[in-house]
Amino acid sequence: MEATILLLEHDAKMLLGARGLTVPEGVLAAADTMPEPTGDGPWVVKAQVPVGGRGKAGGVCVVQDRAGLQEAADAICALTIKGFPVRELRIEEAVPDATELYVGLVLDPATAEVVVMASAEGGVEIEAQAETAIHRRWARPDEASLTAALAEVAGALPPNAARAVTEAGARIVAAWLDLDATLIELNPLFLRADGSWIAGDVRMDVDEGALPRQPGLTALLDDRAAAYPEAIFKRDNGFDLVVVDPEGEIGLVTTGAGLSMQLIDEMTARGLKPYNFCDIRSGGMRGDPARLVENIRRVLEGPNLKCILVNIFAGITELGEFAGLLLKALDELGEVPVPLVVRLVGNGQDRADAILRASGRGLILERDLDRAISLCAAPEVADA
Amino acid sequence: MLEQLIDPAAPQVPVMVQGATGRAARQHIKLMLGHGTNIVAGISPKAAGEVQDGVPIFATCAEAVEGTGARVSLPMVPPMSVLPAAREALEAGVRLIVTVTEGMPVRDAMHLHALIREHGAEWTGASSPGLAVPGRCKLGFLPDACLALGPIALWSKSGTLSYETALRLKSRGLGQSAWIGVGGDAVKGTRFADLVPLFRDHTPTRAVVIVGEIGGTEEEDLAARLAQEPLDKPVYAILAGSAAPEGKTMGHAGAIVSGGKGTFESKAEALQSAGVHVFRAIPPLVDRVAQDFQKETA
Repeated sequence: MEATILLLEHDAKMLLGARGLTVPEGVLAAADTMPEPTGDGPWVVKAQVPVGGRGKAGGVCVVQDRAGLQEAADAICALTIKGFPVRELRIEEAVPDATELYVGLVLDPATAEVVVMASAEGGVEIEAQAETAIHRRWARPDEASLTAALAEVAGALPPNAARAVTEAGARIVAAWLDLDATLIELNPLFLRADGSWIAGDVRMDVDEGALPRQPGLTALLDDRAAAYPEAIFKRDNGFDLVVVDPEGEIGLVTTGAGLSMQLIDEMTARGLKPYNFCDIRSGGMRGDPARLVENIRRVLEGPNLKCILVNIFAGITELGEFAGLLLKALDELGEVPVPLVVRLVGNGQDRADAILRASGRGLILERDLDRAISLCAAPEVADA
Repeated sequence: MLEQLIDPAAPQVPVMVQGATGRAARQHIKLMLGHGTNIVAGISPKAAGEVQDGVPIFATCAEAVEGTGARVSLPMVPPMSVLPAAREALEAGVRLIVTVTEGMPVRDAMHLHALIREHGAEWTGASSPGLAVPGRCKLGFLPDACLALGPIALWSKSGTLSYETALRLKSRGLGQSAWIGVGGDAVKGTRFADLVPLFRDHTPTRAVVIVGEIGGTEEEDLAARLAQEPLDKPVYAILAGSAAPEGKTMGHAGAIVSGGKGTFESKAEALQSAGVHVFRAIPPLVDRVAQDFQKETA
């Protein structure tokens, strides 16, 4: 259930700006809603998508005057960056003539600690830099340990850079702890000739598992629900559903993240086009067909959908009960315009098959997963 | 304690279950008892003094450990309660914690990781589907339908994908010597690489099957360890997520490809260079393992 949420840059800057991190003044915009930007330019127009590498993909553009803003916005909003169509932009004041530093806090799963990192040579090429240009210290997730590590990495930098990294770093240390972050990076952290600093870009990931104790983040997600559809879906429905191919033809109703990923792999390798990833957590449905209804309804939104595969390997679930819930869900949905291939294995499988056969709904039952996948490719050949 | 748990010659380790009276806990305690697990105590402040399915219920971990000698704890509690429950068990003297709850906050997992080290104890989880030595003991959710004693050590991140893999191996006559679900979270107590020394001299194990997935560097770290300390047994791996798009989290916290790291290709290459047979689909893996065992016995 646990995962991280990559906050969009605009949201991360609003959150950290409110916590004392200096960031450029900026506004949220879209191609058809261009609010008045602050300042007199130049500005930077930046795609708001939840992936790295936006600059290299053409999603960041410097604009000198107001006349150029709309053109830049239209161009960027026409992009799809690593599968994410650009729907929102942040327009902020450019920071001219500054040095680019880097400071970041990143979870290190191998040690279960935080890596505190800093460099006097930040910017988009940070990952290509020599190992020696990035200073790293490992810290426990508490203020004393993080602050000590920050002081050590800052101490390896020239004095002005050290001061900027120490000051900006203190803000992100506090935010990391307060907001259950798993990653915060300021890259670049701009250092001006007069020694002042400002965070040019912010990447922040927060822990979805910690949302119940993070009312501020929960409120942010509610306010910006359209920008975080998957996190909101999961919170409201209690399970995961991610559309992996909007043109996909096979809708998945499956339990278990690993097996669902594997199904997508095997279907893709066989030239089939799965529509979605899904982990319905059948063990937690507690006699209510709501998740099944929502799952099937969502996959039916796929314009090219040809078939639905229901695949439940029951560790926790009693399959007879599941079969009853599936029939209830289908009743509630009314007409389902595509065939369903149903593969139920585990606790209560015979009872489940009997219940589904007796329903007269023409469900295609198959125990073997490979044959079930083949049936999804050609459901018309099955004897239901 | 993990070593003792998988050693068929060692005495059965005494286990307690925290949150024993919850709905799922009740159901799984029955299944675990049915599989031979030596569950000696349950913890539930509200039901202290009662006996549930033959298991005495205590108010606190300290009382349970004192009263029964429990050495392993399985907290079956909600995500926000895992860290305090594990802390209580450690302070009571438990040596191994197995956490099956999904959704434990990352920072709690980091704190638990540090606590485990301070106590010199062991932790399997977070989000472990469980672990088992078929016919002897089972902790967690692993379905009985998949369990059979045999020559394969199964090490898995995913629950369901390992169930599917285990069932198909079982249908070819290949059961498990031990099954360790390390869990799909990023921060965890036992990583694949940690299992290498435990299984090198584990005589019931004649081959290892790794059920891994994209994200993180656990498979790469395992490969590095195997390159240094070979297992002297064949190792096979199935890796889920070869078709996953970058930047999309698919259920497991660890399963996210970011900036070209944690990809299928990176993992496959690392494992192959350490001599591991890597597969992206279940049927060819099962065929290969079955063929190799046939050759061995022929």
